[in-house]
Amino acid sequence: MHETCLIGPYNPDDVLAWEQGTSRTAGQFLADVFSLAESLPDRPTVLNLATNRYAFWVGFAAAIMRRQVTLLPQSRAPQALVRIAGDFNGSYALTDRGEAVKGIDSVSIRLQPDQTPLTADIPRVPLDQVVAIAFTSGSTGRPMPNKKTWGALTAVAQATGARLGIKGGERISVVATVPHQHMFGLEASVMLPIVHGLVMHGGRPLFPADIGSALAERDGRWMLVTTPLHLRACIAEGVTVPAGGLVLSATAPLARELAQAAEQHFQAEVHEIFGFAEAGSVAERRTLDGDHWRLLEGVRIVQDRSAYRVRAWYLPDPVPVPDRISVDGDGAFVVHGREADHVNVAGYRVSLGDLNHKLLQIDGVQDGVFFLPEERDGLVTRLMAFVVAPGKRSEEIQCLLRAHIDPVFMPRPLVCVPSLPRNATGKLPRESVKELARQWMEGEGREI
Amino acid sequence: MMVQSSSEQEVAQLIVQTLKLKVDPASIQPDAPLFGEGLGLDSIDALELSLAISQTYGYQLKSSDPEIKAIFSSLWALAKAIEKNRTK
Repeated sequence: MHETCLIGPYNPDDVLAWEQGTSRTAGQFLADVFSLAESLPDRPTVLNLATNRYAFWVGFAAAIMRRQVTLLPQSRAPQALVRIAGDFNGSYALTDRGEAVKGIDSVSIRLQPDQTPLTADIPRVPLDQVVAIAFTSGSTGRPMPNKKTWGALTAVAQATGARLGIKGGERISVVATVPHQHMFGLEASVMLPIVHGLVMHGGRPLFPADIGSALAERDGRWMLVTTPLHLRACIAEGVTVPAGGLVLSATAPLARELAQAAEQHFQAEVHEIFGFAEAGSVAERRTLDGDHWRLLEGVRIVQDRSAYRVRAWYLPDPVPVPDRISVDGDGAFVVHGREADHVNVAGYRVSLGDLNHKLLQIDGVQDGVFFLPEERDGLVTRLMAFVVAPGKRSEEIQCLLRAHIDPVFMPRPLVCVPSLPRNATGKLPRESVKELARQWMEGEGREI
Repeated sequence: MMVQSSSEQEVAQLIVQTLKLKVDPASIQPDAPLFGEGLGLDSIDALELSLAISQTYGYQLKSSDPEIKAIFSSLWALAKAIEKNRTK
C-alpha cells in the first residue's frame, strides 16, 4: 500500500466539521477542497495561517492535492514568518480572515456558505509525499525544518486512535483548544478526526465557558484535545459538560492531582500524549495509571550510546528524544525533565539559546539572557530577561522584540541591568542567572 | 492623559495583579489597547484574566460573544462590560 485516502470512513452526507449550528458534510468538504485547489497559485510551499480549524484543513488538503508543502511556523511573529518565507523561496500565505502579512503574497480561503456537495472519488495521497514542514527552535537562532510525510501523519493518527479505542465510523465530536499549526494540534485535532471519520469542531475555544458550550453542542461522545492549562481553567470555573467523553492532553506534563480532578470533573478518562515536533506523537498514558508512557504501535525507542532515539517506519532517520528519559525492558519509559536548553511556557517548547540569539540581534542590545523562574502560583510562569542596553528603555526593547518572537515567549519583565554575571571564560552559568533573578525579585518583594 | 474612573482603577489593579505586570495600574490609559501593542497581552493572559474576572465579579466571558473583541479592546471597554454583567 503506497497511498491512502485523503479522508477516512465518511459517507458523502456524514458531517465532517461543525461550528455554532453550522456544519459541513464530507461531500461539501470535497467540493471546498477541489474549488480551492484550482485557485491556488503554482508555488512549492505555503504558509497556512488560517485561524479556523476547518478552513485550515481545507487549505492543507488543497495544498496536498496540488503537491505543495504546508509550512508550520513555530511563531506567528511577523518577522519570523517573513524569514521562513524567505528561506523557502516562492512561498505564499493562506489566510481565512483577509489579514495580510507584509512582504508575503496572500490568498484567502473563501468558503461558500451553501456549498454543493461533490460526489467524486476520494483522492488518494502517496504515503511518501512530503505534505508539511514543522519548525522547531534550534539553539542557533535559525528555525529547524522537520519534514512530515503523509505516511507519518496518518500512521500517528491511526496508532493514536487505536490506542484510545476509537472505532471506525464512531462519530465522536472532537473539540480542541490547541493551535492546529503546531504538531500536537495538527495530529490530534485535524489528522486524528479525519483518519477515523470523526467530526471536527471548526473553532478554537479559549475561555472555559466556550469549551463547555462547544462540548455540549452535539449529541453523542466527545473528545477534548487540550492542555493542562485549559484543564485547570475549566475546573476553576466549574464548567459543566455532558457525560460520555474523553480528554486528551499534551504539550506539558499533567500533574496527577490535576488529572484526578479533571477525571472527576468531566466524568471522563484523561489520557496524555508524549511527543515532540521532530518525531510527532510517540507515546500515550492514562495519567492516573502511573508515570510510565506506553509507546504507540509502530514506534520504538533505541539507545545509541547515552542518547535515546525514536525509530518508526515513517521516520527516515532515528530522532533524538529531547527529554531525559529512562526506558524499561518492555519499551515503556519515564520522563525526568527537559534537556537544559529547552523550556516549556504554557505548553510551548522553545530553546533559550534561540531566544537569547534573537534578543542579541536587537539594535542597541549589548548582552542579554532569558530565564524561566520556578514560580508555582498563577496559571502560567512566564519568561523574564535581563538585558544590557545602555540608553535604551525596556519598553523600547520589548517593542522591537515583539516582531521577532511569539507573544507567549515575550519576557515579563524585561529588566535592564548594567552587566551580566559572565564568568572568566565569558560563559553565563545558569546558577548565576538564577541568582541575578533571585536578587531582582527580592528587590521587587517577590519570591522565586 | 485620561483619568481612570473608579471602576477602571479597580479593573486596572486586577489586571496588574493577576498578570504580575511591571506597570503602575494608574498608568494604564483607559483607551489604549490591552493586547498586541499597548500592554502587549496575549490569549493566555485573556484566559488568566477571564478566571480572575469570573472569581471577582461572577462574570463569565465567552469568545462566542459578538462583543468579545470590543470588550477586550481597552481598559475602558472591559470595565464597562464588567459593570454591566457583574453578578457580585
